[in-house]
Amino acid sequence: MKHLLSNALIIARRDFMAVVATPTFLLFLLAPFLMLGVSVASGIGGAYLAKGQHDSREMVVIASAADAKRLKVEEDVLRSRLYGREGGPPSVRFVLPGPDPEAQQAHLLSDKAMDATAVMRGSLQRPVIAHLPGEADDGRYLALLAEESMRSAELGRPSGTQFSTPHIKVVQKTVPTRSRQQSTGSGTVVIMFMLTIMLASQAVGTLAEEKSNKVIEILAASVPLEAVFFGKLMGLFGIALVFVAFWGGLAALGIGILPASAGLGSFAPVIGTPIFIALAGCYFAMAFMLLGAIFLGVGAQASTMREIQMLSLPITLFQLIMFGVSMAAAGNPGSSVARFAEVFPFSSPFAMAARGATNAALWPHILALAWQALWVGITIALGAHFFRYGVLKSGVGPFKALGLTLTRR
Amino acid sequence: MHTLPRGQHLWRFELSLADDRPVWASGLVKSFGKFEAVKGVSLSVPKGAIYGVLGPNGAGKTTTLRMLLGIIDPDKGERCILGESSPRNVSQRVGYLPEERGLYPSMKAREAIAFMGALRGLDWAEGRRRADAALEAAGLGYAAHGKIRKLSKGMAQLVQLLGSLIHKPDLIVLDEPFSGLDPVNQELLERLILAERDRGATILFSTHVMGHAQRICDRISIIAGGKVRFEGTVDEVRTMLPMKAQYVPCSGDDKVGGLLPADAERIGNAWRFTVPEGGAERLVTDLIRAGHGIAGLSIERPGLHDAFVRIVSAVKAEEAEAVA
Repeated sequence: MKHLLSNALIIARRDFMAVVATPTFLLFLLAPFLMLGVSVASGIGGAYLAKGQHDSREMVVIASAADAKRLKVEEDVLRSRLYGREGGPPSVRFVLPGPDPEAQQAHLLSDKAMDATAVMRGSLQRPVIAHLPGEADDGRYLALLAEESMRSAELGRPSGTQFSTPHIKVVQKTVPTRSRQQSTGSGTVVIMFMLTIMLASQAVGTLAEEKSNKVIEILAASVPLEAVFFGKLMGLFGIALVFVAFWGGLAALGIGILPASAGLGSFAPVIGTPIFIALAGCYFAMAFMLLGAIFLGVGAQASTMREIQMLSLPITLFQLIMFGVSMAAAGNPGSSVARFAEVFPFSSPFAMAARGATNAALWPHILALAWQALWVGITIALGAHFFRYGVLKSGVGPFKALGLTLTRR
Repeated sequence: MHTLPRGQHLWRFELSLADDRPVWASGLVKSFGKFEAVKGVSLSVPKGAIYGVLGPNGAGKTTTLRMLLGIIDPDKGERCILGESSPRNVSQRVGYLPEERGLYPSMKAREAIAFMGALRGLDWAEGRRRADAALEAAGLGYAAHGKIRKLSKGMAQLVQLLGSLIHKPDLIVLDEPFSGLDPVNQELLERLILAERDRGATILFSTHVMGHAQRICDRISIIAGGKVRFEGTVDEVRTMLPMKAQYVPCSGDDKVGGLLPADAERIGNAWRFTVPEGGAERLVTDLIRAGHGIAGLSIERPGLHDAFVRIVSAVKAEEAEAVA
């Protein structure tokens, strides 16, 4: 075991240095900046697009000049009370009634030159409101506007008179609620999954280098293949840690700068933040090792990049299923789905991390980590076995191994 | 201690000889699918010897070496390397140069050597120190800090060879070490091998180039068709073939051919033929008595090349017959 570990460390060191000590690693490290840039750019673009669409939309009220004047004052007050200074439904335009208000209303809604979502006509006592499909809120807003206007008139008060002056303040809830715990669990699953799939998927092509350079022959003659596999995983994990440390540091810096109102208060693991973060780190390591071992084992069978890509797809899909199961577990703690996800080795790291957010018991985590470590070992051993069989043409194939096992019984 | 497989008595006996026989194998068999590459190879390499495994392409040499080193497992047969039935247990005492050379192109030469040493249990710092010295001795000192991808194929091959020797192994296994090297580097490699033998290492190498084997091997095995066809010294294999004579008569009379053995052939003024069993003395006497005289006579033992060709040709003929 000591030899295995020391051999694995030699491989890990080589792989780590081969990646980290190159200029291209900077590109990899900073790749999320590009992703972030793309997200911000598309977000800004989307926001402008939405704002442009929103600005061009309007509601129309067909009313006499006197009614329009009352309604305009009332609308200003109503909008401000309901939505504050910004937001709310599209602006309201007032037009004088034509000879046929019904036809006028229909024309306004169908006119290509304007973007009317709802049009109101008739008296304020009995307004007739028409709106486009999906714009019922705008229709209801116009109805409320008519109602408020009539209410003011009935009370004999000027439009927009306010009878109550509320004092509204924001209060941060300090006790974690169930929903916030679940949100914490779900968020952790998402972050862990994204990191794992991004970093562990690199393992798929690592043995291709050794195979194409023929170095694998030297490695196979010098150290056990299990040490090669484990070493490669450790090397990649070291790279992943550099990545996580860099971005974790930046995130911590960002959290320190961001105000409390930025929504970070929703991070509320029931097990306690320090333990939760430590557990999440351990589970990330296990998820990385498990997923990386699968990628490595499958990728080791491939000879070309094309084969690697083809083999990666089913694993990625499998992991997406695991992600779905883990998210379901995070959303339904204690359910049978959650139990399954916590026990099934390949979803266990994610589901158990989510469990830490909603359940304070510590001992299941110790069991789970041991269980997952066992599966890391099994996956590496299987990967090495299939590599020996598939690539070095030595040992027993999977079907024959199964047959031998069955006949022995 | 490993569980002893079938043939325990022989195995125990051989284990007791492990100090004298760093490499011992009995009845190694390996198939790839339906193709049987090695069909029961047995080897016994004396300690401190340079042992050549000779054979034509596809004879099963590389597969045999890979089985001996534990890279692949035999389907049948036993092996014992440096006293261990599991070659992995003694990997730190073994140096190996595979047939398909491989180094990480982005590694520097001295790092590549130190890395190979580290794989065999050598400390990195010591590996670097030895790498510098070895590169200097091989005339590659200037390339120590250059990346492998910038070296020529021959230089990279030398770097790999140095890497396989850097931990001062007791057993050195070289698979076709001379291929891809120019004559100068081939000579350098021969000197390196001899120096390692002088250090006390046992060297096992495969080749299909007879010149090297004839010059440096203490013992050889000739493998063909997946089986060992000869095992012994170079001199022993050469004695398997009769001596050849080249005779130049004083007269140009064609009648001289009637006195010579049946396989005699004329090449210019000279005649070439196989020396009869019992020696050439009687024939020489007959030629002188018949008045042909002797302007020139040379008798030589056939080389390893001739013996190899004869053995391999016989195997190929056997195989062709079997197929037919």
